[in-house]
Amino acid sequence: MIFRQIVFYALLVGAISGLVLTVAQTWQVVPIIHSAEVFEQESASVPAIEQAGQLARVHDHSEHKHSADAWSPDNGIERTAYTLLSNVLTAIGFALAIMVVMVASSSLNNAAVTWFDWRHGLLWGISGYTVFWLAPALGLPPEIPLAATADLEARQIWWLFAVVSTAAGLAGLAFGKPPWRWAAPLMLLVPQLVGAPHAPGAMFADQPPAAAAQLEQIAQQFIGATAIANIAFWLSLGLVSAWAVRRILSPSGNVSPSGPELPPEIESSSV
Amino acid sequence: MQNQTSTVTTVRKASISTRISKPLQLIGAFVLGAVIVYAAGFVSTSAVHNAAHDMRHSQGFPCH
Repeated sequence: MIFRQIVFYALLVGAISGLVLTVAQTWQVVPIIHSAEVFEQESASVPAIEQAGQLARVHDHSEHKHSADAWSPDNGIERTAYTLLSNVLTAIGFALAIMVVMVASSSLNNAAVTWFDWRHGLLWGISGYTVFWLAPALGLPPEIPLAATADLEARQIWWLFAVVSTAAGLAGLAFGKPPWRWAAPLMLLVPQLVGAPHAPGAMFADQPPAAAAQLEQIAQQFIGATAIANIAFWLSLGLVSAWAVRRILSPSGNVSPSGPELPPEIESSSV
Repeated sequence: MQNQTSTVTTVRKASISTRISKPLQLIGAFVLGAVIVYAAGFVSTSAVHNAAHDMRHSQGFPCH
């Protein structure tokens, strides 16, 4: 039962790489988010009505984030725990998707077990990084809180479009046959040519000039910090996934609960 | 002898079902992964958003 095996190993891969991501984030990413939130609290305490109005306009969902009755984890251990939980969950989801593609690609190539050594793990990790982080980040760089942004749904749709198109492009380059292979680089470019939705004007227009300058600097640092944390995450996810897929596909690791694999003659006669 | 035949039939049936369902199993696992990523990264219910906030920012999911 390959579904069960993939799910089991995805839990393991997700736990390991989610932990790697959480540790990598505590170095730069989380401190930067916290330093941007200091500005958020300051600007919330400024009683300028136009400023508040502008903030609400740019931040179309700010009413639920900043309203007093919405639950949010307390700063400190609780917040870190929820971040760890979200990291692990997301990693399990990514691991499920990437391991399915790895298994499917192995039946395409018919080179099942030798195909997944650590070098291929790195390659799959870099591909995952390109698809799920780099391609969306080229159009929508990871933002710190307070940054002015376009409509949330429009950005989510573009994010999804960038991911699907980049994944199709990379798959075409790796596994496509000539007519399709030539179209693959185009798939990588299309989301970037279409362009991500952005809010007009300055990124921190609702802030006083001195704070805006500081926040812009912090926003730049944040892009570099997330780039590093996410490459660590994806390399670990790719490496552990390759190990897991090799175990799933190798005959000795294949202890399926439905019993041993059938001899080939029975399988072929049943077609 | 009859016993053996029925075993072979059962084995054949089992083999047909696993052969047919392998792509389906893979699709199932993939969809499960997509649903998990969607829940953690995209759902905008405030409690989910606030719990996953730092992850969303650092993973580059559109957040605010």
